[in-house]
Parts: sequence; C-alpha cells; structure tokens
Amino acid sequence: MPSVATLRAHLESSLPESLSSTLLMRERAAPLMVSSGVAAIDALTGGLPRGALTEISGPDSSGRTGVMMTALAGATHRQEMCALVDASDSFDPASAATTGVDLDRLLWVRCNDMLQRKSGALSAGLGRLEQVLKVTDLLLQAGGFGMVVLDLGDIAPECARRVPLASWFRFRRAVEPTATMLLLVEQEPCAKTCASLVVRLEREAVCAHEIWTPRKGERVVAGGESGVPENNAVSHAALLRGMWVRAEMVRCSAPSRAQETIGWDTRWMQGKPVQPAGVNFELRATW
Amino acid sequence: MFACIYIPDFPVEAIVRAEPLLRARAVAVLEGKPPVVRVVSINEKARRLGIKTGMTKLQAAIFAAPGEHSTAILRQRSMEREASAHSALLDVAHAFTPRVEDTAATMLLLDLAGLERLHGAPTQMARALALRVSLVGLKANVALATNPDAAMHAARGFRGVTLIPAGKEAQRLGALPLAVLLDAFQTSASNNSPADSDREKQREQMLDTLDRWGVRNFRTLALLPEHALASRLGEAGARLRQLARGAGMRTLVLCEPASRFEEAMELEFPVETIEPLAFILNRLLEQLCARLEARAFAAQELHLRLQLERRVTDAETLAAQDLSNDSHNVRQAEHSLRLPVATRDAKVFLKLLQLELAAHPPGAPVTKVSITAKPAPPRPAQRGLFLPISPETEKLEITLARISAVVGERRAGIAGLLDSHRPDSFRMDRFMTTSEESKHTKHPTASYIGKQPSLALRLFRPAWQLRVRLVEGRPVTLTAVATPSDRAGLRGRIVWSAGPWCSSGDWWSENGKLESAGKDQSRPWNREEWDVALANGNDGGVALYRIYRDPASGRWFADASYD
Repeated sequence: MPSVATLRAHLESSLPESLSSTLLMRERAAPLMVSSGVAAIDALTGGLPRGALTEISGPDSSGRTGVMMTALAGATHRQEMCALVDASDSFDPASAATTGVDLDRLLWVRCNDMLQRKSGALSAGLGRLEQVLKVTDLLLQAGGFGMVVLDLGDIAPECARRVPLASWFRFRRAVEPTATMLLLVEQEPCAKTCASLVVRLEREAVCAHEIWTPRKGERVVAGGESGVPENNAVSHAALLRGMWVRAEMVRCSAPSRAQETIGWDTRWMQGKPVQPAGVNFELRATW
Repeated sequence: MFACIYIPDFPVEAIVRAEPLLRARAVAVLEGKPPVVRVVSINEKARRLGIKTGMTKLQAAIFAAPGEHSTAILRQRSMEREASAHSALLDVAHAFTPRVEDTAATMLLLDLAGLERLHGAPTQMARALALRVSLVGLKANVALATNPDAAMHAARGFRGVTLIPAGKEAQRLGALPLAVLLDAFQTSASNNSPADSDREKQREQMLDTLDRWGVRNFRTLALLPEHALASRLGEAGARLRQLARGAGMRTLVLCEPASRFEEAMELEFPVETIEPLAFILNRLLEQLCARLEARAFAAQELHLRLQLERRVTDAETLAAQDLSNDSHNVRQAEHSLRLPVATRDAKVFLKLLQLELAAHPPGAPVTKVSITAKPAPPRPAQRGLFLPISPETEKLEITLARISAVVGERRAGIAGLLDSHRPDSFRMDRFMTTSEESKHTKHPTASYIGKQPSLALRLFRPAWQLRVRLVEGRPVTLTAVATPSDRAGLRGRIVWSAGPWCSSGDWWSENGKLESAGKDQSRPWNREEWDVALANGNDGGVALYRIYRDPASGRWFADASYD
C-alpha cells in the first residue's frame, strides 16, 4: 500500500494545473535564527527563530528572566523595537538596564487585575491572562517589533494552560510572515505544537562565595542542599554571586540548524531529540 | 494682477461645508431670537423654491415639509461655522500668496503679481484658486483683474471663474447692476462708516437716486460726466464712477496668516453617545486636515473641547438665573492629544479621539464641539534605508491607546530609571519610535554587554509582608501573610541566607513637605536586605528571594525573586 507521501506526490505531479496553489503544501523556509545572547543556548538551539514562537520554561529561580533580558538586550542592541507584555507586573527595569537592555526601545506593558477585580466576573489570574492575550494581539497587529515577549513566569501553570490553543495558533500565524520573534516565558510549556522552539531551564547551583565559582565549561557540582551552598556566617561577602543553569531543548521544529551546530546527527527523530540534550551556563550577578 | 475670492450666500455655504449632504438640497438660514426669526441667507435651490431673504420662520417653514427631499432645509445661523469657513478661506489664500487682504468675511483679495512662474498663466491661477477653495468645502466665485476693485466687482457679479484682461474692465463690468457696485463700495468703506443701519440707509438712498436718473448698471454710470456727478453726489459719486469704469488702483491691507487652526460646530440637538459624536469629529477633523494641508502643515498637538449641556437640578435656581448669563455656567470637557510626530491623517486623529473619549466619557450631552490643532512642520517621509524595522508611528499611537484601554492609564510605555538607590525607582515615559534624542542620553549602564548573561530580579508589586522567625539574628523560616490568589504561597524553611545589606535614603527630606506633594518616590526609606534560598514543597526545590526588614516598623517583606 502506497504511503500518504507517495500518493500526495503522485497527485500533485499528475494534476499540476487542476490543483490550486493554495491547496498545495508549501515548503516552509527555515527561519532566520538570531542569537539569544547566551552562547550556550545558541550552541544548543542555533539561536532564536524569527517569525516563530519560542518558549522558555522553568520553575522559579531557574534563570528564565535572565535569559529573557539577555535576549531583549541583544534585540535592542540591534536597534529593534521590542515589547514586553508583563502579566504579573514583575519586570525590574534596573536589572534590565544592567543586563544591557536599551530601555528606550522597550515597550513595557504592565498588566494588572484591578479592572477584573472590580467587576468580580473573573478570577484575578485569568483577568491578567486575558489582558496579555488582547495586548499581544494588538502588538502583533501593529507589527514592526523585533521581539515581543510574553512574561507569564509568575502565572501558575494551571492558569496558563487555560489559554486556548487557538490563541497560540493565531499568534504563530501572525508572526510567521514577519521578522518578529515571539518569546514566551513561563513555568511549564503551554503553547504545545505552536511553539517552534521550547527550551527548559533548571537551576544547577547557586554561587555565593568567590572561591566557589567554578571554571567556565566545567560541570558544576551542587554544593550543599538542593544546589545551594552550605549556610555561612552572616557577612556581606557572602551575598549572592550568581547561579548555574542547565538548559534543555524540549522541542525544535527546525532541527537542522541545531544538528549542524552541535553535531547530533543521530539523536534526532521526527523533530524531537531522542534524549534530552542540555548545556550549562552561568548567570552572574552584576551588583 | 489681483484675484478676488467671493463666497455668495456665505451663511448657507458655512453650514453646507459642515454638512456636505445638504449641497443637493435647498437650504435657508435663519437668524434672530423668537418670535422674530427671519431668513438671512438662502442658496440657489431655495431661491428657486420661492424662499426669499427676510421671510419669517413661519413663512419659510411652508417650503420645508419634513421628510420630503424636494423641500427646503431650515438651519439656524452658526457664527462658529462661519468663522471656521472664513479661516479655511484665509488658509487657502495664504497658501497661494502671502499678500492677502481680508476684505470681508465673504471675500478676500489676493495680489498675484510675480506668481506666474509658480502657478502658471492667470487662467490657470484662477482655476487653481477655485479648486483649492472647493477642496475646503466651499463654493466660490473667483475673478482676476488688473486692479482689486474690478476683481471684487467681477467676483460679486459673475458666477464661477472670471478673467478680465487689462483694458477690458469697463466693457466686462458694464452689464452688472448697480447693487453690486454699492454693496462692494460699502464693504470696502465699512471701516469708516458709523453703523450698519446708516450704511444701509445711504445705500438705499443712493440706489434710489441713481434709479430715478435711469442709471441702473455700471455702463450707464461710467458714461455720466465726472464733475456733474461729483457736484450732485459728492466725493462718493466720483469714486463710484471710477469704480464703474473699472479704473483706479489702491493698496491692499495685508493680513497675517493665522497660526491657530480651529474648527467648531454648534449642535442643534445635544449628542449623548460617542458614536454620533464620532461623525461630527470626523467631519471637523477632515476640514482641519484639509486646512493644514493647504498651508503645508501637519499637527502634533490636538485639543478637543466639548461644551456640555447644563444639568438643571433645581428649577427655582434656573428661573432665578438670567438666560443672558448662561455663558458663565457652561460646562466643558477638554481632551488633549500629543503625538510623537506631526501628521495630518484625519483617520488617525479620529481613532485616537474615539479611544480618548471611550476612556474618559464627557459625562453629559454635548452641545458644541471645538477642535484646535497646533501646526507643526510635516515629518519627512523618507527614512534610512538600513534602519531596522519599527512600528509605524501613527499605527503605534493607536495601538498604545488601545493597550491603555485594556491595562489602564500609564501602564504601557518606557521605563525610565531615576537617579536613586531606592529599589524599584522608575517612571513611566511615553513610548516613541523616533526618539532621536534618546540615542544621546542613554543610561550609563545601558550599553550592551553581550559577554555574560546576568542574573535578574522579578519584583513583587506590592511587596509581600512576611512573618519571619530568626535564630541568632538570621532568618530560618518565613511565611507570607497574604499573597495574590493566583500565586503559590510563600512559606518554608530558609536553607541558605546572606545578609543583611543595609541601605537607606531620602532621610534628609522633609516628611511634611513631601507628603503634601504626594510623592512616594521621595519619602525616606530604610531597609535591611537578605538574599535567601527557600525550600518550597516536598520535591526539594529551592527558590531564591530577596527579603528585607523595615527597621522603622520592624516588619519583614519579600520584594523580589532571583531568576
């Protein structure tokens, strides 16, 4: 019995005139990849794709915000206009400026739940999510942004999962013909197949001592309990110095670049890595 | 060469300009206070129906059966619309030549000397003027002649575009009735006359005298001997004869171009909802943008003033008030738009005004609408070839207004850092795509590092109050007193801590003065910060938070997490 692909090829070749071009599957061009600003993630994924939805997920204190701000710093450094839809009003402009974000090129939209609370019709979390979706729609319709970031990092996964898949699909279709990078920061992946790239972050270790800082590229051995160093005497010298983060690529719809970059010729199967591939990198405190 | 632009039936034209659908109807304009309301101006269609100026409202109402298309429309005279129409006329004239005389509300004189190379032959100039006047919604008679008075008489006497060649003035003007001459004579001499009633009386007497002599048009007046005429009618007689011959020259009294662009409309019935108001706004904005375009300007600032219907709550109070003093009790609502770039796109202005009115409804029925634009040079359309993509400015403004409608006022924009060590000190600025100055005034830390990704903070706004247990001066457990409903509770054992980092500021400020000013950003602050790793849940997960103690109150707060 011929496969679907064989039948399709046979039909398309035998009826080239009768089939409308809109019915034919077009070969999608590989998205243009742009550096995320984190060399380790670039090595893992080949960068962030333009005209696609990228998810960066992870629990609290896993480095999601640091990666997001580094990506924004790169985009604003390229003189692109960026937008941040902040679902929880948790963006810290001082951190962003320290990371290198040009704040003059960043539109910060601070969602809140005051209106919904007044009406009492919706729960607070869902109200903010509705605002996020409406604002994102408006931003994507306006066009011209190099990067649009949806920060759902403090939204509980059960709330984020209530966003209908149709919304993510709509966003993906809206950015596809553009050069806009749509970045979604969250605790758990929720856009499913609409995301072209899903990266999961986890904290490996916390650096609190100057002498404890590992060398670059070296595998970090978690110190003490849960990757946190043993408690120390009260001292200013023991303030947080940074943390090591492990990034894993959960999904990538354009594996060729990553394969070329990392050389995983045999580890890919149907667009998914056969075994989790990860890299470690350090997020260093700059204060 | 001089040109004259004359708007016949000006009160009607001013109303038709605001309501273009009336162009195809017979329109009569009424003026006066009841019960003495009379027709003061009519258009040609109304004239054909039989309506005459001076009719009472009751007499004119016979020709205005409601619902019938062929009958006349009666409108109250609007001085606001006439002022707007006159301003539009001046804009057209000043866009053509800087030498303009504002002769009357209905008439302008233009000096076209030396403009042939710019606008072409006199015929082309006359047609161009008529076209430009029609673009601002007015129908004008345009006449060109070698002297201003001949041009004025031709514009008053002939419909459409008239061109009188040099030396042919007396011949072309000869057939015009003397009423045209006397009207124009009065208009040009209006500044010297004591009162309207006296001028009207003199005109009637002069017309009657000349009629009794059998002098009924320009030609017969021009043929009269000058000395004999002057001995009977005085200096005015000699002047009239000179004007009737199309001779003589005078200097124009030039006027300055207006720097204020305003369009206003008084509404016959109060408008209560935004949707019908949008139609009025659209019309006014189109007129305003046409005027701006005529002067090669755009607008960066727009002010909308709505006069609202006064709500009467006490009938006795109303009865006690004098109706003539109503202007003192007028309620107004004012809205301002400020765009980052100058534009004259009426649709953009309309959308922004609609969003502004939706966010801030007037609160009462609207009786009068007035829009003022501050002129600015239009921005160059050409941008750099190698500039990165950015949102279209006009589209972005509408998007920002819509976003503000979703998330609230001043919750979308640029975060501007303040020169302070106070945590979370910033201000919200307007987001603009063309911030040329921002390229030179960046924050010192805003340079792109690009070498090492750094740790970032996620702030809790407002900070969560905590209950913290201390052992030997260090926090060992904490519990959030109250957390938002959609956030996991913050509680658990502190597995690692570092601190305290003591900081304070603005203690030098005077509390009283600052509280009266209502500036939170200047109140004294004092805090002892700790970085803590909190074990949350049973899965062994740890999250990093920044907590602090306020020494003044002794209370603990969590204000950020490290991420």
